[in-house]
Amino acid sequence: MNRVSNHFFDQLAGDLAPVRPIRRSRGIALVAVAAIVTIVLVALFGELQTHMIAGQATPMFFVTNGMLALLGAASSLAVVRMATPQVGSGHEGARWSAGMVALLPVTALIMLGATHFLAAIMEDSHGVPCLLASITAGLVTAIALVFWLRRGAPVSLTSAGTYAGVAAGAIGSFAYGLTCPIETIGHLGIWHVAPVLVGGIAGRLAIPPLVRW
Amino acid sequence: MMAAAQNGDRAVYRVLLAEAQLWLERFFAKRVPPAQRDDLVQEVLLAVHNKRASWDPSRPFFPWLAAIARYRWVDHLRKVYRSAEDELGDHDAAQDSEEEVVMARMSLERLFVHLPEKQVEAIELVKIEGLSIAEASARTGQSESLVKVNIHRGLKKLSALVEKAD
Repeated sequence: MNRVSNHFFDQLAGDLAPVRPIRRSRGIALVAVAAIVTIVLVALFGELQTHMIAGQATPMFFVTNGMLALLGAASSLAVVRMATPQVGSGHEGARWSAGMVALLPVTALIMLGATHFLAAIMEDSHGVPCLLASITAGLVTAIALVFWLRRGAPVSLTSAGTYAGVAAGAIGSFAYGLTCPIETIGHLGIWHVAPVLVGGIAGRLAIPPLVRW
Repeated sequence: MMAAAQNGDRAVYRVLLAEAQLWLERFFAKRVPPAQRDDLVQEVLLAVHNKRASWDPSRPFFPWLAAIARYRWVDHLRKVYRSAEDELGDHDAAQDSEEEVVMARMSLERLFVHLPEKQVEAIELVKIEGLSIAEASARTGQSESLVKVNIHRGLKKLSALVEKAD
């Protein structure tokens, strides 16, 4: 029994043209460029807290933004790897990084107590603007990652969408965080982490149809 | 061979496709009825062709092929109900030991290990053996709606496990 016809093989072989293999290093470079573009755009539309970046900020500023940057990098790397699928690929780094960032709202809850935690959500007038600006800033990374996934062959679409959304939210929040002068745990632990959550949910819902093949 | 195919070598590519076809037939042997296996193998080969740039020459070939095969198989389970008269045969060809180890590690059976028994049962009966929901319900003792829920949840979980090896 000739299971798949020779004609089919002939067609595929006849259609064969040289292709440039997708290299993960190019994907990483693409995300790095997207992150730099994001920071430049944020600096153009906002005001970088250069004195804080230079060391005059509280540790909370560095810890929060450092964690977000690491989460953005780990999630982006997971997405880049998903475009070149392999049985045996794991994405534990992104998962652990997300758990690490989740410590921030948990810390806020413990430090503030439930009442003040809720107050920080309801009454922080800078909260929603920070959230929206971070999500907007994350769009550059989201577009870059969707472009990368469409070039590749992702086989775990929901995971790819979720990680892409988390990466976009984290990098957007990191970039916008460089312009935000508020350094309290109540603000950073809630409103600078929320874009990651929103990005993850949005990516999980919106990205799979865009990268399905 | 795949690196040569990426460079446009048609003769090598033809050999690669033939090898991949044999490998895929063994890969799907126990989980896809013979009548559907050829279509699925062809579908995977077409995916290999269209997505050949996504294979990284610095990585092994078969785990990449297996990931694509699993992805298409889960898609296939979603779409296709097997007709009742199709039988799953024992079509395992003799395999050399190295290939056998690689295939065992990446096989479709590995995916089912991660699913609850009732979800596996529902998927096997309805999507692979071709029973109706009512028949599967009578066979398993699960209600019809539970069979549907278990299939839905099982397939969702399978699609999240495509790259998992252990």
